[in-house]
Amino acid sequence: MSGDEEEEWGRRRRRIAGDPVTAALSADLLALILDRVAAARDRKAWRLVSRGFLRAEALHRRALRPLRRDALPRLLRRFPALELLDLSACPALDDASLAAAALGGAGRRLRSVCLARASGVGWRGLEAAAVADAAGLRELLLDKCLGVTDVGLAKVAVGCPALDRLSVKWCLEISDIGIDLLAKKCPDLRSLDISYIKVTNESLRSISSLRKLEDLAMVGCYFIDDDGMRILSRGCNSFQSIDVSRCENVSSGGLASLLEGHHLLRSINARDCVSELTSCFLSKLSVISNTLNILKLDGFQLSVSALKIIGMSCKNLVEIGLGKCKGVTDEGISELVANCAELRTINLVCCHLLTDDALFSIANNCKKVECLGLESCSLITEKGLDQLTICCSSVKELDLTDCNVNDAGLKCMSRCSELTALKLGLCASISDEGLAYIGSNCEKLQELDLYRCTAVTDNGLAAIAAGCKSLKRLNLCYCTQISDTGMKHLSCLEELTDLELRGLVRVTSSGITSLAMGCKSLVKLELKRCYSVDDAGLWALARYSENLRQLTISYCPVTGLGLCNLLGTLRCLQDVKLVHLSWVSIEGFELALRASCGRLKKLKLLSGLQEVLSPELLQMLQSRGCRIRWVDKPLVFKG
Amino acid sequence: MNSLSLRIFLFFFVSSLSRVWSLQATPRLRSIDRSDPIRSMASAAATTTKKMITLKSSDGEEFEVEEAVAMESQTIRHMIEDDCAENGIPLPNVTSKILSKVIEYCKKHVDAAAKPSDEAGAAAAAAAAAAAGGGGGKASAVPEDDLKAWDAEFVKVDQTTLFDLILAANYLNIKGLLDLTCQTVADMIKGKTPEEIRKTFNIKNDFTPEEEEEIRRENQWAFE
Repeated sequence: MSGDEEEEWGRRRRRIAGDPVTAALSADLLALILDRVAAARDRKAWRLVSRGFLRAEALHRRALRPLRRDALPRLLRRFPALELLDLSACPALDDASLAAAALGGAGRRLRSVCLARASGVGWRGLEAAAVADAAGLRELLLDKCLGVTDVGLAKVAVGCPALDRLSVKWCLEISDIGIDLLAKKCPDLRSLDISYIKVTNESLRSISSLRKLEDLAMVGCYFIDDDGMRILSRGCNSFQSIDVSRCENVSSGGLASLLEGHHLLRSINARDCVSELTSCFLSKLSVISNTLNILKLDGFQLSVSALKIIGMSCKNLVEIGLGKCKGVTDEGISELVANCAELRTINLVCCHLLTDDALFSIANNCKKVECLGLESCSLITEKGLDQLTICCSSVKELDLTDCNVNDAGLKCMSRCSELTALKLGLCASISDEGLAYIGSNCEKLQELDLYRCTAVTDNGLAAIAAGCKSLKRLNLCYCTQISDTGMKHLSCLEELTDLELRGLVRVTSSGITSLAMGCKSLVKLELKRCYSVDDAGLWALARYSENLRQLTISYCPVTGLGLCNLLGTLRCLQDVKLVHLSWVSIEGFELALRASCGRLKKLKLLSGLQEVLSPELLQMLQSRGCRIRWVDKPLVFKG
Repeated sequence: MNSLSLRIFLFFFVSSLSRVWSLQATPRLRSIDRSDPIRSMASAAATTTKKMITLKSSDGEEFEVEEAVAMESQTIRHMIEDDCAENGIPLPNVTSKILSKVIEYCKKHVDAAAKPSDEAGAAAAAAAAAAAGGGGGKASAVPEDDLKAWDAEFVKVDQTTLFDLILAANYLNIKGLLDLTCQTVADMIKGKTPEEIRKTFNIKNDFTPEEEEEIRRENQWAFE
């Protein structure tokens, strides 16, 4: 067989050329190894090893997130086995580039395409994409594609009859007509997101004919009301998950009628709908008691008896959302959790009346709890946290913003070795001692929020940097005691991607330099009001932070030279905020923005510049897909 | 005359009847055998001596293994089930060195699944532990951690052997060994720069400088 012979000959050549791995192992065995090499950095290193390795990786890659549209045709040719294409990071994506990419022919095997925020894409681009990908496309995400109208939706519906999941969130041009055609042409739809668009109950009439529809999201649909809910309850959908948050005209009566019709509901999200929870809804909850896992009732007025009924009706609850619910007290919580031992996520944000007793109830009943949101529950003390952390060993996410947590509380929290996210904003009593506890045991920590924790100094950062090597997101805004030494400690965090350093007046350019040299994965950096960071800091960022995508340097004493070098060098930079750069001249802005030539997607500038910058520049930026936000902020120096 | 022929007929009739009775008697004899306690113990002993399968490597060496150990390989399992294993199973793609390692792995895992402290298993593993890094003697109390430690020692071999083990595990369809060896290679690659990977596996860089630069640029700026 010539295929085998060819492969054997190829292997002999590779052995002579010096690639024993691809010489020894066939393509499918290399694929088995590649299955286990998932991290993006490792895959990219793999590609650079040898030609054989490059070929193996190209045949194996299933998902791609391109960063620029001109690379699209070449990338689609290089990776023939792609199934998932995420184009949300491509600036200035328009019909022409989408058509050019689709005609590359690689569209045949694509299963999922994400086109979020591609406002330049209209029906022509979608037609080209749909025609090329018709056979296999199952999932299409068009969030915030403002150029998509009913015509574009029709092209998608006709071209992709096997569509399984569709999102047209924020596509404000879509109306009932488009949804009607969609429902007729794509009968296999399982998941649909029509949030924030101006559809009425008529759309729900069309949607109610989709037999396989399991998942419907209608966040913020102002024109949907209880009649629409009644239409849905009589339809032949197989609903498992409904999201009607922020639908101001849907009341609990409408929700109750929905429950009548659909007994397999797993998830109900009714955040911020209407404030009153009537008894007809509560009595209907027992109908779905076996299946209901997720219930989000944020913003409702809830009494103790209501919580008791919820607890008794829904014994299989895994997630409950009671954020900003008025009337939630310790007694209500204890009635709720008495029956719900399976709870894993409890959101009690802004339930101001809760004290340690609520935490005791949760600790005693819900041993599996993983995510707990207690923002602004300021009556909580370390005693409650102590009991919680002793009883519940799998706590992963804790939100204790504005809860007056102190070091004793942090000592209790350090027992949770599975902790991945910890939010301690506005807790001014936290000091380095508490952070040392966290650093000693919470190795898996990925997110740490220390917004306005003013007692934190460089030593605290040293403890965190030594102990939490997987830290990805760190917020140190207004922790004014931090200086360059702290930045040096942070530079050993190689996985750090998001860093907010707003208002750190003692951090200078040398601190930023050491940070840029060490944190190779930095993607988002905020340096607003760092009054000591100047051009030298920007030079360092331009030189070392190759992955930087989002940057804020408002109020920093930088000049046009540093700015021009920064915007010209960083190829991935897409989102910059340049408000009140008083030392940058108008020529400086002109040169810097021209140097960025088409890479920027979002830009924030002082509104005074709108008259002064040349109109060709502004036009060029806008035609390349950049959205400019003009703000009117007075120049105020803080601290 | 009539009485004589009648007597002859009766004689033949009775003798044929007795033959029929004797035929019927033999099953009864066998059932008596079965109820005999000594006889039944002997037959039970016959089922506990395990069936041995002969595996022949590509260089002619023969390995005799228990059927349960050989059945770890799905390929061999299918051959046994299809009755192709009577005269031994030839494995032309596997050398004796690799086959002995594979058998060692299968034995260890069969023993760990059945009885943790199997004397025969420990002895056989020790006997076959010639090339292995002394991992065979760890057949003791249990479970997952010990087995994982043994697996980790098992794959500490040179690269050629590791790749040959992957090929053998693929050919013989032994999922556990294939997962273990592929994971080992993947772990050798994680966290390394391209140059380090080349050094680990003795690979020569066959890119031209322009090609390498293009791929570097693609990695950096074309996609995430």
